[in-house]
Amino acid sequence: MMNRREVLKLAGTGVLLSTLSPFVNLSFSSEVEEKFKKHVGVPMSKVKDGSDKIKLKTPTIAETGANVPVSVDAKIPVEDVDWLMIFVDHNPVPRVIKVHFSPMNGKTFFATRIKMAKTSNVRAIIKKKDGSYLQALKEVKVTIGGCG
Amino acid sequence: MAIGTARVRVPKKIKKGKPFKVQFIIIHPMEPGTRKDKKTGKLIPAHHITKLDIKFNGKLVTHMDVGGAVSANPYFAIMMKTDESGTLEISYEDNKGGKWKKSVEIKVS
Repeated sequence: MMNRREVLKLAGTGVLLSTLSPFVNLSFSSEVEEKFKKHVGVPMSKVKDGSDKIKLKTPTIAETGANVPVSVDAKIPVEDVDWLMIFVDHNPVPRVIKVHFSPMNGKTFFATRIKMAKTSNVRAIIKKKDGSYLQALKEVKVTIGGCG
Repeated sequence: MAIGTARVRVPKKIKKGKPFKVQFIIIHPMEPGTRKDKKTGKLIPAHHITKLDIKFNGKLVTHMDVGGAVSANPYFAIMMKTDESGTLEISYEDNKGGKWKKSVEIKVS
């Protein structure tokens, strides 16, 4: 049987958890934002959505995080592109690779295979020569992590 | 295969001025430095490729800053175009001072 005191205790922890959880979520996303700013150089809000121009191809579910194929094909003339970055939100080092193109590439295309620690967003961020940023984003579910 | 060796694949027929795909694989452990040895519990020191340059006839085509989160024995693919035949040279180095080069002849028609 539950007495009055126990019922109150239970209710109390419930209230405590529900008030805490939004803060936990907040700090989580701001951590990604902080990493983003550190590695990309600008806050996330300055990067526009470019999913109509940047075609980011990844598997939806990766069996192992050790080998996730990623390919980026952008409909942006390579002459206008300063660099392209592959960014994985929840990796210990989110900045996977930065590629500097030249007009000799002819096309803004890049493909590689990356490691992922856990389920996370994979971003392809492009900095254009005029100083603007574009990104395409996809979530990849990882069953077994590949970063230890 | 020894560490640092690369295999490059380009199309057999390349047309003048038309973009073609260059694919290559490098043999390298790509240790990110964030993994722990399960037996000892110590961090495995980082050992990965950091810089990679693709040059054609001495001109820089693509430069990459490579991080530890690229898979072991990394695969890369880029597009490029050229009006003349020549040598494609891929040079890369890792954080432990290893430096390697790989050249491929490219003929356009």
